[in-house]
Amino acid sequence: MDIFEILSPLSILLCFLGVFMGIIFGTIPGMTATMAIALFLPITYTLDMVDAIALLIGLYVGGISGGLVPAILLNIPGTPSSLCTTFDGYPMTQKGEGEKALKVGITASIIGGFFSLTVLYFFAPVLASVAIKFSSVEKFLIIVFALTVIASISKGSLLGGIFSGLIGVYLSLIGMFADNNQLRLIPPGFEEELTYGFSLLPVLIGLFAIAQIFQESEEGMKASPHQTFDFKKEKKNPFTFKIFNGQIINTIRSSMIGTFIGMLPGVGGSAASISSYSQAKNFSKHPEKLGTGEPEGLIASESANNGLIGGALIPLLSLGIPGDSTTAVLVGALLLQGIQVGPLFIPTNPDLWDGIIYALIIANIVMFFLMFFSIKYMAKIIYIPKYIIYPIIIVMCVVGSYAINNGVMFDVWTLLLFGLAGYVFMKIGIQVAPFLIGFILGQQLEKYFIDSLKGSGGDLTIFFTKGPIAWMLWVLIAVSLVYAIMDNRKSKRSGDQSITPST
Amino acid sequence: MKKLFTIFLVAVLALSLAACSDTTAGSGEGSEVDVSRIRLVIGSTSTGGDTYQNADTISRYLEDPLGTNIKVDAVGAVRAFQELGKAKNDGSTVMFFHDMAYLGVEYGSIQENNKLENWTIGPVVSTNPGNAFLAKGDAPYDTMAESAEWLKNNPDETITVAIESGGVSEITFDGYYLWVKEKYGTEVSDRIKAYVTGSQEDKNQALWDGNADIINGSIGGNNEYTKDGVEDDIKMKFLGITAGKRVEGYDIPTFAEQGITVNGKEFVFDKEFFFLMPKDVEEDFASKLDKAVAEVEENPDYAKDLGKNAYITNYVPAEEAKDYLREKRATFQNIIKNAPELDKITN
Repeated sequence: MDIFEILSPLSILLCFLGVFMGIIFGTIPGMTATMAIALFLPITYTLDMVDAIALLIGLYVGGISGGLVPAILLNIPGTPSSLCTTFDGYPMTQKGEGEKALKVGITASIIGGFFSLTVLYFFAPVLASVAIKFSSVEKFLIIVFALTVIASISKGSLLGGIFSGLIGVYLSLIGMFADNNQLRLIPPGFEEELTYGFSLLPVLIGLFAIAQIFQESEEGMKASPHQTFDFKKEKKNPFTFKIFNGQIINTIRSSMIGTFIGMLPGVGGSAASISSYSQAKNFSKHPEKLGTGEPEGLIASESANNGLIGGALIPLLSLGIPGDSTTAVLVGALLLQGIQVGPLFIPTNPDLWDGIIYALIIANIVMFFLMFFSIKYMAKIIYIPKYIIYPIIIVMCVVGSYAINNGVMFDVWTLLLFGLAGYVFMKIGIQVAPFLIGFILGQQLEKYFIDSLKGSGGDLTIFFTKGPIAWMLWVLIAVSLVYAIMDNRKSKRSGDQSITPST
Repeated sequence: MKKLFTIFLVAVLALSLAACSDTTAGSGEGSEVDVSRIRLVIGSTSTGGDTYQNADTISRYLEDPLGTNIKVDAVGAVRAFQELGKAKNDGSTVMFFHDMAYLGVEYGSIQENNKLENWTIGPVVSTNPGNAFLAKGDAPYDTMAESAEWLKNNPDETITVAIESGGVSEITFDGYYLWVKEKYGTEVSDRIKAYVTGSQEDKNQALWDGNADIINGSIGGNNEYTKDGVEDDIKMKFLGITAGKRVEGYDIPTFAEQGITVNGKEFVFDKEFFFLMPKDVEEDFASKLDKAVAEVEENPDYAKDLGKNAYITNYVPAEEAKDYLREKRATFQNIIKNAPELDKITN
């Protein structure tokens, strides 16, 4: 197989363009890889299949990778899967290590991307068969496992963290219950607006970006210490690839978690990065430092969320089942070209299969070089005075929120409402990160719980009797919880309450 | 550097705004309609489903005869109706959906104020004849009729059918359920259970998990799992389609061929796609759209494009579509009235 027999110079150019545009979409809060692909979909009609897929794969890789920029530099998770990137990325920026944090994130991203790509290429059909053995019971337990991160990041206030998480779960359930089409938990008068509940991205951006701006407005927009930091003079602790020396296991474990959870249809990328961050904390030699600006946490989050790209493509290309919302749009692109994805896709479309793999390789390499060598310019965003950058951020957030559901004004109100809520949360001590994790995972938690009960005829013991995969997940949940509780007690004794990720 | 960065950000922002902006009304020079861009909202949030595929195909072919650009927005049923309710009467925002537009109102999944009478009904443009039911490859029956017979002969068994509530899959399930009840009595029909779930992926997974014995699906979405060479674990087989005629190239019997009837009439359900416009839409626009659709329907390339996913052309002019769809609704209202409540027949 010769890469240039499959990919033409045009394919490579389109892949490059896709990565570039994807990075821009990922960088703007509220714009996502899914949106980028959906917007570029009509262009693909005029292209041949391999060129089209090269463009779309570029957008996918760029869109997922770009999310780390606002997460690290501005403390705004551009996408739900970059939420955990803010936990250590932004504190690093606050310490004047923004450029280093970005380079750590980009390197972790390419490792995660290549790990999942390798898994996709060599094991796709086998792993896809494993993925469909994960029924609603196992998927419910994986979501519970991801939720254990709440215990882990609620240091010093475990009950407070759980309470915040439960509020998040509760609010995620607002809207129509699909099984019987009944509306629930909706305040009178908002039935139309809240039929589908609050959109995730406006909630996410509101709680991080708008709330922070409200708070700083109250205090007066003085320059933060990191804004006066001079990168050129930062010689003591620059980025080197040696940072990864002690992080090999963390990187591989996180890439594996990302790839694995990414390949479970419906579970998606947020759970992948949340679970991997949780495990990085549990296995860390210095768990108390995670959340204060440790590359370890950043590596866990970023290698996992890029790992999910190859993971999500596994069930798509082997079984025709999209692993997440972005791959669901890819299915549409293939179908519109008359290509049926399904269990015989790989053997019957060898050229396209090779094209996808090559496009992934090129997209990851382009992403790395494009971001790695331009990042020092991007990092300078933090020097822009707040009175200039904040209005731009607000406009970007509003545009992103308005665009996320193809132009719904209520999503803009959601952004502002949750911005205000985030500000109030800070005042009254509700922890934003656990709240968001509850909000992100709440709907899936309920869906898989109910699906499990429907399948078992209402028998709750199904969660314990389903089989060895379920038992293994229970063990992981228990270990994760016990570890988090012990760690919590230890930090309480030592009086360290500073670990809760900053928002 | 700061200035450069600010300029870059503003440029990106301007591009984003341009990309995401709503449709703009206004006369396009030389265009035959009074809008330069049309926003086509569809009743599905998926860009991989049959609604998007049919909307995308017709809109690409309509752009030339209408002299406009059409953007398909997958916003979902409730939001699509909301957008249509707020839309100007110039045709700059129109809706594209299928029979769920009225079935949803009948089942209560779509609000009553969105009933057909409150909109201007545009032409019917295409049909997805592939609305199907499937079972695992090794199921002890090969058709829907045989599944009922199997239930009758195995009094300790049940059959669970995975469907989505409030739309096409529920109405076709209801047809099957009522036929079993009529032909074999409640002793057999009481052993038919519903597994209510969402997307096609969820239904497939329900079959593979063993949570459902039969699923509602489609030729386009499920055919790949029925081919030779597919592993036994995920192998499926078609038990029947609800369309009036067989789909060319597929050996799948229709419900009618299997003798499935309701109230003595053959049970046939063709899933049809059509336009909906604001109630007070300008007549000029409505008639131009209708004429343009008529022109597109004659284009063999359009039929070929639809055929890629086993969809077929089916033009019913706007003038006839109004009565046609209302009559179709009346036929199925009777089935909905007699259908079992899902709450009572789920596990």
